[in-house]
Amino acid sequence: MLEIKDLTIDFVSVDGRVRILNDVSLTAKKGEVVGIVGESGSGKTTLGLAILGLLDSPPADVVSGSVVFEGRDLLKLKPDEMEQVHGTGINMVFQEPLDSLNPVYTVETQIAEALKVQRKRQNSPDVQETEGETRNLITDLLRNLCIDKPEEVLERYPHELSGGMRQRVAISISIIEKPRLMISDEPTTGLDAYVQNRILGMFSAQRKTGETLLYITHDLTIASQICDRIYIMYAGRVMEAGGTRTVLQASLHPYTSTLVASVPQGFDDAPPLAVQLGEPPDLRNLPTGCKFNPRCAYAKDICRETEPKLEEIHGGRYTACWRVDKELGRFS
Amino acid sequence: MADLVEIKNLTVAFRSKRREGFFRSGPSLKALDDVSFTIGENETFGLTGETGSGKSTLAKVLVALYRPTSGTVSFLGRKIDYRNKKDIAFLRQNVGIVFQDPVRSLNPSLTVKEIITEALIAAKSIPKKDYDDRINFITKLVGVTKDLLPRRPRELSGGQRQRISLARALVVPKRLLVLDEPTSALDVSIQAQVLNTLKKLKSELNMSCLFITHDINVIKYVSHRLGVLFYGRLVEVGDTRTVDTDPKHPYTQSLISHVLTLKKAGLQEAVVSEHRPAPSGCRYRIVCPSAFEKCADVPDWVDLGGGHLVSCYLYDRLSRKKDQAPLPAAATGG
Repeated sequence: MLEIKDLTIDFVSVDGRVRILNDVSLTAKKGEVVGIVGESGSGKTTLGLAILGLLDSPPADVVSGSVVFEGRDLLKLKPDEMEQVHGTGINMVFQEPLDSLNPVYTVETQIAEALKVQRKRQNSPDVQETEGETRNLITDLLRNLCIDKPEEVLERYPHELSGGMRQRVAISISIIEKPRLMISDEPTTGLDAYVQNRILGMFSAQRKTGETLLYITHDLTIASQICDRIYIMYAGRVMEAGGTRTVLQASLHPYTSTLVASVPQGFDDAPPLAVQLGEPPDLRNLPTGCKFNPRCAYAKDICRETEPKLEEIHGGRYTACWRVDKELGRFS
Repeated sequence: MADLVEIKNLTVAFRSKRREGFFRSGPSLKALDDVSFTIGENETFGLTGETGSGKSTLAKVLVALYRPTSGTVSFLGRKIDYRNKKDIAFLRQNVGIVFQDPVRSLNPSLTVKEIITEALIAAKSIPKKDYDDRINFITKLVGVTKDLLPRRPRELSGGQRQRISLARALVVPKRLLVLDEPTSALDVSIQAQVLNTLKKLKSELNMSCLFITHDINVIKYVSHRLGVLFYGRLVEVGDTRTVDTDPKHPYTQSLISHVLTLKKAGLQEAVVSEHRPAPSGCRYRIVCPSAFEKCADVPDWVDLGGGHLVSCYLYDRLSRKKDQAPLPAAATGG
């Protein structure tokens, strides 16, 4: 239902062009939860914004590629056509909820507005709710998101809420629109563990209604819980992709395996964590060859000279690494 | 292990800003309420709890950024009088702190070297000719390369900034290092680097740590002993391994059962709505599935041996191992 092909995006500034995304391809089927995992600066959020057509141009410049959603290339749509897709077609939960909520309306007005859009687009005039019914619907939703006393929260303005509450209000706005594709950008960062679990539970329940979820995160433990497939991104490139379990338990790319090994496990006497040598990549000044080579323990000469392409190793398993033997289908 | 820090009945209250006429009228908010624990020499004490539980307030009391409303803090056997400038200087000489936000905790207009030198100047006790040696020693230890010294914080990555915060805190040798969510703003691979650095520092410089974080996986990995805060009150203290495998307080049990790990599959359904503290008695009783009338009084500390303390009336009846099914609601009401 969503198919991104060879998407390349540059940011243009007075200092020159910086490639933020390079040949990113990604697919998501109906009802699937797809994770995009990477460290800060890997281009995860840019990818989400590009799908929605929310990148400002300039500085963003789409060099090549296509984003096909339900048979239409979103990059070629006119602004008013795109507006029809936003909300009920695709919507996004942003990382910083204070920026996505309107400061001068109460929480209730904002959620009710989203609901109204949803009802209008669905073309179902028979589902005319009274004001009281709308309110019940909203309070139930907020209660499901572990908000205590939702009736009081509805009357408040965004600035009166704590960060976690705001985030949950933003999530409820996205959920109530029942989008066919929902993109969520680190929605549970800064939330307590039990609230986080609750939200993840709601997300995975949504797939039963046929909604597709694109989950952007840097947290492997979360990705391992809810994603069917994950894409590992580094310096604007997809390094590895495949089923969550196989990618995390039998990683092909050295970047993925060190990422998995960096998650603290065990107690005080556990051995030191696997550390990626060196610093995160500087997008303005990337190395030649594989972009991960300066931090890679297995780098050979070819890794420093030519960049490997993302290739299918076997059934739905992709990786971009010279050290992975295609015939054997494993790291060698 | 001898005790380095002893915190006894520590209460920190913030006055409400609401005014009625001339006088402040609103009730004061107790960010910390009757908290007692100790940190031993060379020990890492982990403090955890959710947002708003008072973790950071405690960190700030230890470096005298906040003053206790009541209760005492003793450091190296010396009772700290927060009105006495000498005592505060003594505390700050011996306690280093690293804050959560690596961007806001470094002065943007100074170079890395100047930032670290400031800490040396503030210590007063170190002769100027030793500055360079000290800076070389500490930067090598925390893994900051020489070429970073003339740069300014904005040119650095989050992990580098956090390591500079560490260097600044430790360039003058400290007995206690307080770390307030030092890795929660960092990526996993950078977090791993900082945690490794920290473990190395601990073994090289004979010091204790107070590690504050809401991330149970991290705290398990770094700390010897663990304290769990719930809305300003400590509910359970003990050896990390014991508390993790056999938590006695219902709040600790709920906290630990919600931790995600790479291996554990499946989400634990949240049974409670928003955590709301009770105004009196056991603060957890409003959401506790097993609360009964007696919980309106604060439960006494129960010593389970081996330094494992819990503040709950039903600690023995609610006992369950990790990974077991969640408690049925009101299973063991009195």
